[in-house]
Amino acid sequence: MNSTTDNQLMEEVKEGKVERLAILFERHQVPLYNFFLRLTGNRGTSEDLVQDVFFRILKYRPTYRGESKFTVWMYQIARNTHIDHLRKRKKEVPLEEQWEEASSREPGPSESVEQLQDIALLRQALAKLPLKKREVLVLSRFQNLKYKEIAELFDCHIGTVKAHVHRATKELGKIYFELSGGMVS
Amino acid sequence: MKCKHIKVKFPDFLIGELEDISKKEIQEHVSTCISCREELESLSEIWTKLGVLPQEQPSDSLRSRFYGMLDAYKQGLEQEKELPRVHKLRGGWLTHWWPRQPAFQFAFSLTLLLAGLTAGYFLNLNGKKVYEVASLRQEVQGMRQTLAISLLEQSSPTERLRGVGLSYRMEKPNKKIIQSLLDTLNNDPNVNVRLAAVDALYLFHENPTVKEGLIQSLSRQTSPLIQVSLIDLMVNMRERRAIESLKQLIQDEKLNPDVKNHAEQGIQQLTY
Repeated sequence: MNSTTDNQLMEEVKEGKVERLAILFERHQVPLYNFFLRLTGNRGTSEDLVQDVFFRILKYRPTYRGESKFTVWMYQIARNTHIDHLRKRKKEVPLEEQWEEASSREPGPSESVEQLQDIALLRQALAKLPLKKREVLVLSRFQNLKYKEIAELFDCHIGTVKAHVHRATKELGKIYFELSGGMVS
Repeated sequence: MKCKHIKVKFPDFLIGELEDISKKEIQEHVSTCISCREELESLSEIWTKLGVLPQEQPSDSLRSRFYGMLDAYKQGLEQEKELPRVHKLRGGWLTHWWPRQPAFQFAFSLTLLLAGLTAGYFLNLNGKKVYEVASLRQEVQGMRQTLAISLLEQSSPTERLRGVGLSYRMEKPNKKIIQSLLDTLNNDPNVNVRLAAVDALYLFHENPTVKEGLIQSLSRQTSPLIQVSLIDLMVNMRERRAIESLKQLIQDEKLNPDVKNHAEQGIQQLTY
């Protein structure tokens, strides 16, 4: 384990040692990038959003309170950044329409064609899930956040989060089943 | 209802955070209740399946952009720190010399004003004013460049377009601006922003880095729009070295036929 915790580092950043943000960036850039990738499905956008999150962390560092985990605060900023991005995108549709450029990934040596199809199908299914459900599911399944932390993030009761996860998983299963033409056993 | 009480525990079951008692309770219940068993099975299935979604790595440009932003922010902070120190110095100096009596204060101010006017008159004669204006202009230039670079790194295409637009208005762009514009030309996901970058770079085509960057960029572009405007640019620059790049371009079998025509014409124009 790293000796300096995220919270300690963020306190230092808050006090003016902004270069310490580099460590936080190295620790969290990949998970954050994947969080956005699962929400937006676009690699370029996801990188832009990660950059934006770290810029906002600098900008809003005086408002950081060390009471909750740093990651909770970071994902709070990440959610706002994503929502702002969606809002902006609505305003300037003509630009965004061309923005989506084909982004295909080469299959890795261990990935079979079926597995790639499965990945594509799951991505499609995730994209069809309403935003809030998608967020809760991604946060709990991939970002290693506890239900308690997600509740803090969404400012709601832990029971509500669990109910959301339950419903989101159920709905995702249904969409996935429909997309795969009911071929899943 | 027993089923309701059991289903509430499913989310904890999924992430594997249940005490043994609760786990046993669920197992006992689903062994007799078919509907709960089916639900738990389908939930677990899709939950496990999500594990095939791979964790991807962002490109290197994310890291370099982050460190660029951090450096710029640090510089800004340091400049901010310098300012109050100068003020403090001036404050101490003034209170030390400032007379207590209002009459003396008035006389002191008048003397200062006169001294200032005289000094200004002589300074003007010496042409220092020109120097001051020049340094002010340089400062504005510097601010404009910093703003343009930070705009070029924004996530919204409109902001980036503004950044490109701002760099048009520079008399002598520095290396950073040129590099940012070239990066935008080569890497920006939006065609409109890239197109604007071509236009901005054309203004600075006398600069050897820009010239070299534009020639090299030709092989990296895939959009016909950008390719055509780069070809036009080469012809306008009368850049003979570009002939090689153009010849390479038309070798590409996947090249858009219109672009190919355009490139062939370009080669002809450059050869004569």
